[in-house]
Amino acid sequence: MHVAFRNPRSVMASQNDRPAIPDCELVARMAGCDERALGELYDRHGGPVYSLALAIVGERADAEEVVADSFGQAWRTAEQFDPARGSVMAWLATITRTRALDLVRARGRRARALTRAALGNSEGIAAPIAPAGEAPDRGVERQEARRQVARSLAELSEPQRRVIELAYFGGLTQTEIAAELKEPLGTVKTRMRAGMEKLRGSLVPFLSRGGS
Amino acid sequence: MTDHQWQVLAAPYALSALAQEERAEFEGHLAECETCRGEVQAFREVSELLAHAAPAAAPPPSLRAGVMRDARRGRPIRTWRRLVLPWIAAAVVVLALAAGYGYWAARVAQTALRTALDSARARLDSTSQLIAAILDSTVGTADLAATGKPPSMRLFWNRARNVVVVAAFELPPAPTGRTYQLWAIKKGQSPVSLGTFNTPPGGRAVVTLRMPAGLKPDLSAVTEEPAGGSRQPTQQPFLVGSWQGGG
Repeated sequence: MHVAFRNPRSVMASQNDRPAIPDCELVARMAGCDERALGELYDRHGGPVYSLALAIVGERADAEEVVADSFGQAWRTAEQFDPARGSVMAWLATITRTRALDLVRARGRRARALTRAALGNSEGIAAPIAPAGEAPDRGVERQEARRQVARSLAELSEPQRRVIELAYFGGLTQTEIAAELKEPLGTVKTRMRAGMEKLRGSLVPFLSRGGS
Repeated sequence: MTDHQWQVLAAPYALSALAQEERAEFEGHLAECETCRGEVQAFREVSELLAHAAPAAAPPPSLRAGVMRDARRGRPIRTWRRLVLPWIAAAVVVLALAAGYGYWAARVAQTALRTALDSARARLDSTSQLIAAILDSTVGTADLAATGKPPSMRLFWNRARNVVVVAAFELPPAPTGRTYQLWAIKKGQSPVSLGTFNTPPGGRAVVTLRMPAGLKPDLSAVTEEPAGGSRQPTQQPFLVGSWQGGG
């Protein structure tokens, strides 16, 4: 099971005043054109989706556009969502990341991650872990996931973290990363693989099959 | 590739970080390899968790209404930016194309003008030189004709510059593979070639040839020779005339 996002308890824990409808049930209702289900899904995941979009596109107006696009796509394609393939948040994240990278490319701009890498910003995308004043996540379990992901990324070497961030938030291929960082392709490949293996190890509790 | 070599591609594949060719190859392998499919699934979940690494930010409250409005229409929200931006983008493209075409057309026109100007200048230069060559106190002339009938030629010999300007009248072009050749003849000596020339269909031509320095011919004559000219005339000249004046 995909413990992090599928467990209905997380919804109950964070939204005591709402009925505990699992995410995937919300998506099923969306497929039946239930607008309230979409509203509920946005209330649960709008923040993280917006955060992800902003982390990629770097500008608030563009991030808003990406969020609207992504939920629009989720609404139109709710029927195609397959709970067996992953959590609703993972599905939304995939849609959002794709949309955000598309927008960045369409604008002929560089993703935020690249700009940061070019500046030699060593703190990476993930910092800070829990910024004060910004929307706290509702789900306890999600907060746990955020903390664990941040912790796991922090355990990587800085070069390992950088190539993974450039791939995920920058949408670059290994070849493009090598060119961007002026490093040999083999080095980039090794770092990415080693970094991903480490992440897989430290994120085992959040993986559906224990990461094996 | 061994299984291990394939497996190392699972992590970058899940991050969509493989170059296009490598991705296509790996996808071919994935269709046949359950181990690699499992690896990809695990790394895909890892990469999906990376969404949580994005620094938390709060969307503006108005965004929710936009998302709902979008859903009601069954298609993406139309904020003013999304309505207007594609048009602006299209307009920019059109303008860029127009500007590009304009620039290109201007370049072509400019090149054509420059070429025309250059050739006009060249013609003017050669005309000036021609006139200068003819209007000179040292110029001697020779009228070449065969018994007063066409064709005829008038030669201007600028002694200072060692050039002969040849003006031909009603002289039809030489037959294919043949050419006209002008000779300078000093009495008692062999003819000296001044060069070959031809005429356009109209029969009028102005050609400038060189006169070897030190040569003081009494006569000039024209023969028809094989293309490229001959060392000595191969036939009787059809035009002959003697040099006058110029000193």
